[in-house]
Amino acid sequence: MTRLPIRMTVNAENVELLAEPRSHLADLLRGELLLTGTHTGCEHGVCGACTVELDGAPARSCITHAGACDGATVRTIEGFEGDAVMAALREAFTAEHALQCGYCTPGMLVMARDIVLRLPDADEARVREELSGNLCRCTGYRGIVAAVMRVLDRRRGLAGPAASRAA
Amino acid sequence: MKPAPFTYSRPADWGAAVALLQSGARPVAGGQSIGPMLNLRVVQPDAVADLRHLPGFGGVALSGGLCRIGAGTTHAAIEDDAVPGRLGEILAGVARRIAYRPVRNRGTIGGSLAHADPAADWVAVLPAFRGSAVALGPGGERRIALADFVMGLMETALRPDEVLRAIELPTLPAETRWGHWKFCRKPGEFSKATACVLAVPGEVPRAVLAALDEAPLVISDASALLAAPEAEAARIANAVPGLSPWRAALARTALKRAAAMVLETA
Amino acid sequence: MSREGVGASILRKEDVRFLHGRGRYVGDIRPAGMLEVAFLRSPVAHARLIGVGKPEGAEGRVFTIADLEGVGAIRAASALPGFRASGQSVLASGKLRHVGEAIAACVAPSRAAAEDLAAACALDYEELPAIADMLSAREPGAALIHDHWPDNAFLETSREEDLSGLDGIAAAKVTRRLRTARQCMVPMEGRGVLAEWDPRLEQLVVTTSTQQPHVIRTGLSETLGLDEGSIRVVAPDVGGGFGYKAILLPEEIVCAHLAIRLGRPVRWIEDRLEHLTASANCREHHYVVTAWADREGRLLGVELDATVDSGAYSSYPFSACLESAQVGSIFPGPYTLPRFRYRTVSACTNKPPILPYRGVARTGVCYAMETTLDALARELGMTPAAIRLANLVPPEAMPYRNLVGKVFDSGDYPEALRRAVAHFDLERLAQRQAEGECVGFGLATFCEQGAHGTSVYHGWGIPFVPGYEQAMARFSPDGVLEIRTGLHSHGQGMETTLAQVAHEILGVPVARVRVVHGDTALTPYSTGTWGSRGAVMGGGAVAEACRLLGERALAIGAFLLQAEPGQVELSGGAVRRRDGGATVTLDEIARTWYRRPQNLPRDVDTSGLEVTGGYRPDPDTGTHSYACHAVIARIDQDTGEVVLEDYVVVEDGGKLLNPMIVDGQVLGGIAQGIGTALYEEMPFDAAGQPLAGTLADYLVPGATEVPGIRIDHMETPSPWTRFGQKGLGESGAIGPPAAIVNAINDALHRFGAEVFDLPASPERVLAALEEARRGR
Repeated sequence: MTRLPIRMTVNAENVELLAEPRSHLADLLRGELLLTGTHTGCEHGVCGACTVELDGAPARSCITHAGACDGATVRTIEGFEGDAVMAALREAFTAEHALQCGYCTPGMLVMARDIVLRLPDADEARVREELSGNLCRCTGYRGIVAAVMRVLDRRRGLAGPAASRAA
Repeated sequence: MKPAPFTYSRPADWGAAVALLQSGARPVAGGQSIGPMLNLRVVQPDAVADLRHLPGFGGVALSGGLCRIGAGTTHAAIEDDAVPGRLGEILAGVARRIAYRPVRNRGTIGGSLAHADPAADWVAVLPAFRGSAVALGPGGERRIALADFVMGLMETALRPDEVLRAIELPTLPAETRWGHWKFCRKPGEFSKATACVLAVPGEVPRAVLAALDEAPLVISDASALLAAPEAEAARIANAVPGLSPWRAALARTALKRAAAMVLETA
Repeated sequence: MSREGVGASILRKEDVRFLHGRGRYVGDIRPAGMLEVAFLRSPVAHARLIGVGKPEGAEGRVFTIADLEGVGAIRAASALPGFRASGQSVLASGKLRHVGEAIAACVAPSRAAAEDLAAACALDYEELPAIADMLSAREPGAALIHDHWPDNAFLETSREEDLSGLDGIAAAKVTRRLRTARQCMVPMEGRGVLAEWDPRLEQLVVTTSTQQPHVIRTGLSETLGLDEGSIRVVAPDVGGGFGYKAILLPEEIVCAHLAIRLGRPVRWIEDRLEHLTASANCREHHYVVTAWADREGRLLGVELDATVDSGAYSSYPFSACLESAQVGSIFPGPYTLPRFRYRTVSACTNKPPILPYRGVARTGVCYAMETTLDALARELGMTPAAIRLANLVPPEAMPYRNLVGKVFDSGDYPEALRRAVAHFDLERLAQRQAEGECVGFGLATFCEQGAHGTSVYHGWGIPFVPGYEQAMARFSPDGVLEIRTGLHSHGQGMETTLAQVAHEILGVPVARVRVVHGDTALTPYSTGTWGSRGAVMGGGAVAEACRLLGERALAIGAFLLQAEPGQVELSGGAVRRRDGGATVTLDEIARTWYRRPQNLPRDVDTSGLEVTGGYRPDPDTGTHSYACHAVIARIDQDTGEVVLEDYVVVEDGGKLLNPMIVDGQVLGGIAQGIGTALYEEMPFDAAGQPLAGTLADYLVPGATEVPGIRIDHMETPSPWTRFGQKGLGESGAIGPPAAIVNAINDALHRFGAEVFDLPASPERVLAALEEARRGR
């Protein structure tokens, strides 16, 4: 089996590895780089458990095959230390009991962070729509939605006065 | 499951891409449709050609009333207003409801169209526009009318050695009315019926009924549908062969509701 | 109440690791030299297996049943009279009995390469007529799935009662024919197993995604012929259970055997396709219910004919009869049913075995009973609330023994119903209905027997009977309290709630309590986490272990305080003199015991600060939590789509150990129940082929499909448990199909339509409406 040389930046570190073209990013992260926080729940791109940040935006690592990763920048759940939005989400996820078995949680957090940053004005209905590609079988989603809303609300609260000061 | 083995190459220019297709390689853009199929071993190509790094594969350009959307433009870019004007507004609304954002971040308009899944959004919507698909083959470029592009279940007018390079759509006046409705039980589910109606001022309105498990049905004059949505939607849907009663009801509803959206903005 | 003891909604201790991606699931573990397994699986539902051709050169890496010397079949028998046991060969032997049945194990350094091997195998078989439906399974001339059986049934049960007089006296009689769909449980993590032989301890170590490590150890011992001391089962973090992980898998046994045989770690991770199309399913029931009521809506009697599609094999340990045999005994629900006749059948079909899914048979039974009640109410012109109030067991009758001998411990069932109804503006709803809107209101009341033990299970004769639950409690030398339980926590938050229980007894801060679980080498025996038993059994056992440990600490503390034991007490994590004098902390007592024994009295209890406590509620017939679910559903008459506008649950789980966690259990259960009601269905074609291979085809509710849900708690303590707590982990998944379909039918019957089968998909709802339109 011919293996491809793959160069990536993963969690701000340069990595080089040899991969079968048929292997997917989730398996490379988990198996080769031992970043097991990224989980696979379906390998069909449906459940969202494997969601990572790929070239700055959330993507399904289970249907991103090795070749497409050459030259890519990847951030996994292990790569958000020091990120204020992720820290706020983690705190909110605990406070709102937004996780039970924890399996969907890393993908859910990566998606939640994207929602918070991309859609600062999102209401609950929009948050639910944006989360709809990440399945959770334990919580019934109420805690997850509430956690994202909590972080959005707090940021809006902070942004309000700051914006008016700027004006 | 993991895919069957394949080789991977990343053509640096369009000529190389066409050459790879000539040698039998399977073209891949965002990989969001073929990715799961590879993982399920439903498709087992020997070779994959990754088009994502071709020059000008993504991106939008306007010239002379024509908007050229690079085949590699992602759904997310279109959702985020990469296409200007009324046309962009309409396309952004369609893009936002494709699958999920992480899929939209990778999936491309050209990849989706060329994949030709009858339930896919661009397959359902683009035939409504008087535009064309720009195909590049060994003999150079040719244009295929969007209404004729998808010919059946995963079957297009592209020749095996042709690559889809861009979509060209006429820009639209601000007064253009648009209706688009699809039936998904949950976001991201494959549509069970999609309809859209495009009413450009001064032109005959057009409509498409899609997600019928085969090629989309293009209604090149939708005036009757806009005049009598209920009856005409039923007539069109009932004429589609092989639909179960429920799917026929969905098709009817899709047409009726898409028409209503146009009429509401009248 | 302490701020972090029993009853406090403290945040979960286990969250931190999951939030940082540091959970450790079986698929995350990769020992050096590991081999991966892919299974060659049956492409057909029923066939005689003629042979497997191994790929040339790979003969030593592909294993069929012929290669597995000494490995026994899985036998999950029941002692119920008439039960027919199905030996389940761990790899197919002689016959193929469902699509996806494992035929050969293919071993390679990577999963992809193992799949290449499986794809290269040649399979020779002779197809037989498939039994794809439970009702056709017993038709005359049906093909036999187990050749030596007289027909395709694992078990029949029945209860006789003369109902012949009811037609003459009843004001209403209805008959309903109802179905619940075959479902997949879809935990986000599938099953998975890693087996290794540890030559140092001469022990097989099986790391597996299970809810019951100790039971799996027993099952592995029985099938592999190893004594249990030679087997250690580790359940690491488990990504959701719901009953799917309470089964001994053929794949576990095969991997264990191969690890010993090959001298290498061997792993199999179930993928989603296998989960959906090859592994155990759940829920598929068929009911014919006839009910009689008087003018006031009081039930006079019920006749029930229930069939459960149990699939091809009896799965270990719960057997093929757990569902069907329970159907009869739980059907009366929370009502004072005076007469009852039933017949239940566990049908054997060419489908994967079924397992008890969250709610077990209750979800189907509740669906059948509650929709039938609403049909009676419509017949009598009563409201759904009124007919239930006429039949619910009244609070003054508690504890109440019903006609099949179930004993309800405590509660006010009618109050739960009244509270639920009070959340809605039903006048406004009636107005909308009068205006022609297709919208309806639905109720479901039910109770959930949980934490039932020996007295209930011994009669079943399944491979284990739950008995006494133990927990271990010990102080480390620095005063950290270690709790060890044989239960497993896979989302239920036991690392927090059991620490709260320990804190309640000993006063050690929750942050200083460590709950160890999921390893047969580290924990006392337990039958595991299932049957809504964790809070009752684990809570009781941990409390008892801590009480015993407290006595030991108290004796040492008294000596250190130079007091008689009677002069001191344990509170706030310290032993203190009752006269308000000196105190000594538990930390100090632990330090003294372990590191300063010179300071101990000569007559100190030499067993030290490590105890095992046991627990069994008395009586152990189980707690009965109960709930009322109430919902407003709106129907799109063009598409048949159902939208849930509002959803209220009134729940009584007795004393709640941690209300936040209880709410999480209820909400998660409801989401699954909404799946059962509206979305989830694994269809099979007439040849027994499963038709949904991805989560794009098998629809699981997402954030947009679950409405905002309001929960209202009542807290009637159980008189029989340590803190008054009741089991309710499954409750949320029981009520939704009944409540939602009742709401749908409340809307539809105004148009002359009614739905009977689950899920109430748009296709079924629209078909019902169309049929009514045609009929008019």
